[in-house]
Amino acid sequence: MTTELFNEEFKGITGQLRSYLLRITASVHDAEDIVHDTYIRASEKLHTFRGESSLKTWLFTIASNLVKDNLRAKKRWPENVTDICKAAAHSNPQFFEEAMQIKATSTQAAFEIKEHIAFCFTCISKSLPLEQQLCLFLKEVYEFKVSEIATILDLSEAMVKYYLHMGRAKMIEIFDGRCAIINKEGICHQCSELNGHYNPKQKFQEEVIKIEMAKEAQTVGKEQLLDLRMKIVNEIDPFESGAAALQLHHLEHNRNVMEKYV
Amino acid sequence: MKRLFTVLTIMISTMAMAQNGKAITEKKTFSRTTSVSAEIKADPAIIWKLLTSALDYPRWNTTVISIEGTIAAGEKIRLKSTMAPKRTFKLKVKEFENEKCLAWGDGQGTRIYTLVNKGKGITTFVMNEKIGGFMFPMYAKHIPSFDASFEQFAADLKKEAETIQNTRK
Repeated sequence: MTTELFNEEFKGITGQLRSYLLRITASVHDAEDIVHDTYIRASEKLHTFRGESSLKTWLFTIASNLVKDNLRAKKRWPENVTDICKAAAHSNPQFFEEAMQIKATSTQAAFEIKEHIAFCFTCISKSLPLEQQLCLFLKEVYEFKVSEIATILDLSEAMVKYYLHMGRAKMIEIFDGRCAIINKEGICHQCSELNGHYNPKQKFQEEVIKIEMAKEAQTVGKEQLLDLRMKIVNEIDPFESGAAALQLHHLEHNRNVMEKYV
Repeated sequence: MKRLFTVLTIMISTMAMAQNGKAITEKKTFSRTTSVSAEIKADPAIIWKLLTSALDYPRWNTTVISIEGTIAAGEKIRLKSTMAPKRTFKLKVKEFENEKCLAWGDGQGTRIYTLVNKGKGITTFVMNEKIGGFMFPMYAKHIPSFDASFEQFAADLKKEAETIQNTRK
């Protein structure tokens, strides 16, 4: 592969790579650093790329190895990360001041319920063991096949399937207990609370029912609800979406809180 | 070598007599041995992971209430079973051969799990437990049959492992 072709292909994959790394690290800074390091490493090793896998698989392999190194010494987040961070935000007047400032000045600061669902998924997925989180995102959001994920993470296909199953089971359990959008007895109402804060004139119930996951909450099974949730994540680029600036601010806040908490 | 021979003997006799998840129990004066065998259409790595992930047992296994501790060679675990919900069994992991053989037990008995990769995506699972001792005749009649519990264990393991194996590619 020529350097020119590689650069062109890399540019086409950068968006997905960056969003994947953001969702795994929850850090814009780390995600961008790892994208850069992936480019450098891939460029240096381009002569070893033989086309046995796709270039995308190869680049995600390099990036995943780097992200595993990045997270090796860091602890996983607790399942109730959103509760802990909510409490921290409420005790920090600066958080909402900054958020309203972003809302007033950025073109990517619309609060959308779907965007918050995707943001929440990112945060809660960091409570999974890293292998499960990586497998879940690679399969369900970035649409790699099991065989490709096995290559990316240097696992057997059997282990990829195991981690996927475990990751899904855990996420279903967590959201079933927490998310008030899919379960009337869910304990987390952040989507409606934040919607009320940022869009005070909007009627939450009228807006949420437009989201397929909410609409189907009482009729489909838990596995399908998780699929619908991950479809939302799949459809949003956390850097390019209409709510990116606001959600990245929230994510940075949560990451800082978790660094002190865990 | 002796242990391997014992395990192989158990497996061969069990497989011959207890196919498709049906438990068999052999009673002797000073011991009782229950065995079950099942053909599972899953990679042994998946089955091994299920058998050795302590905290995850209650999710897939209806015969286990909880297991505390780490299932690894030489480690101690605390197991609560639906067969005796008020008891906590303090067990030691006696054998731990990756994807092949797991055994745990206490002074009164040992349970052995064995996996044999038959190829073509099939693994034979054998679970065998021998309880007994010098005082066994005194309390044997008070210990309920393990047959139903063993059959349920094997069925739960088969179902969970095959579900994982059949994850869409």
